[in-house]
Amino acid sequence: MNNQREYEVIIIGAGVVGNGIAYHLSDKKQKNILVIDKGFPLSGTSGATQAWVWVHGKKPDTYAYFTKCSAELYPELERKIGDIEYARTGGIEPFFSVEEMKEAEKMVQSQSNAGIPVELLSREEVLKKEPYFSQNVVGATYSPVDGNVNPFKLLEKYIKANRAHDVTFSFYNEVTGIDKKAGKFVVHTQKGKFTAEKLVLAGGLWTKKLGAFLNVSVPIEKVRGQIIVTEPLKPFIHHTIGGMMRQMQCGPVLIGYSMEKAGYDRRSTLDIIQETAKFGIQYYPDLAKANVVRCFSGIRVIPEDGIPILGKVPQVDQLYIAVTHSGVTLSPLIGTLMSELIMKDTTSISIKDYQISRFSKQSV
Amino acid sequence: MNEETIICPCEDVTYSDLESVLSLGAETFDDVKRFTRCGMGSCQAKACFYQVSKLISKRKQIPLSKIPYTHMRLPLRMIPLESLLGEDKEKPVKTSLSEGHANE
Repeated sequence: MNNQREYEVIIIGAGVVGNGIAYHLSDKKQKNILVIDKGFPLSGTSGATQAWVWVHGKKPDTYAYFTKCSAELYPELERKIGDIEYARTGGIEPFFSVEEMKEAEKMVQSQSNAGIPVELLSREEVLKKEPYFSQNVVGATYSPVDGNVNPFKLLEKYIKANRAHDVTFSFYNEVTGIDKKAGKFVVHTQKGKFTAEKLVLAGGLWTKKLGAFLNVSVPIEKVRGQIIVTEPLKPFIHHTIGGMMRQMQCGPVLIGYSMEKAGYDRRSTLDIIQETAKFGIQYYPDLAKANVVRCFSGIRVIPEDGIPILGKVPQVDQLYIAVTHSGVTLSPLIGTLMSELIMKDTTSISIKDYQISRFSKQSV
Repeated sequence: MNEETIICPCEDVTYSDLESVLSLGAETFDDVKRFTRCGMGSCQAKACFYQVSKLISKRKQIPLSKIPYTHMRLPLRMIPLESLLGEDKEKPVKTSLSEGHANE
């Protein structure tokens, strides 16, 4: 990084959310952007994910529609920043009982009404799309807009594009305090002070701590997910399999379903890994003989009501926040909308459902 | 060693791939691993860890002994998925519809 200390925009957090915002800001010719991160990109949540770009079944339906808008931006993003292995595989969410089929029918109906392309598949249709899937399947919901991306390549290409746009990065630099003096933010870090007119909090799990520096309460929770990685196998899982798994383009299968509250404990635990193995084999019986190469775990950041926190922070002028689960799915849309908000004070798609102010209204 | 020298034989990662991520500011083996897949393959960094660490040490002017080891995870060597099956094989299949949504 250079020796500049004054910026127009500082973004704290260099994950898929922070980098997506930096990319769209700089693509719209915003100058003088600094991105700060306490570690190196991919060391947090953005680097420990199956990286689905997932739409159908999200609740409420308006939020599913919001994620669909983001999925639709991926092809253009890939055209601009380079190969990120985005694959619109279609998403299959299987079920194994008649009771679940009733739930699935309801979901298909209400999501269709909300503008999400989703349909119910019979057992035969599932097995036609996924010939190696368990014969015990009863049916599935399916949407052609679901898919996945390579999160490592996504971050790499974002960072390279941002550097080409003269965005400055400061990695391994933890923020130790933030205050506001004479209308400007002063960001105190391990590597000295930086000032900015506008500040964006996009620190994922750490956004709660960042908000506290400015007396802003950020209601988010930490939820661990554990994942099994197999050896590379010939391509045999063709879709993204909702709730459970996908096959990477280079061959390994990723399996994981778990959601645990374990603070910031990123260890793998044998009980969950055993259960994950069992479900993987229940879905694709041929996986039984596949070798496991590794397990990993990641900590999701989930706002307390389950939907994103995006937009301005009303009590602090020129302060913006973007913190959410499903950061990979939402990255292109969040980048687009937050950059519009920061530069033009308006957004092309409404974000009123996602304002942080909704939490303070509840407590009144 | 030249640009095309393969450092990670499992994932075909070359010397120039490593240079590219070191120039972005990577400081540990795991930083390099996530950007390049170096060490993510079947040997889980047993073959490449030392080579990569030497390179980081030289580039960042830090002693080799100060470079943290890669994060070890189970299993230590490859095992078949079925060997992880527990005792109670009768559990119903978990799905998002039965369990609430876990989709990323």
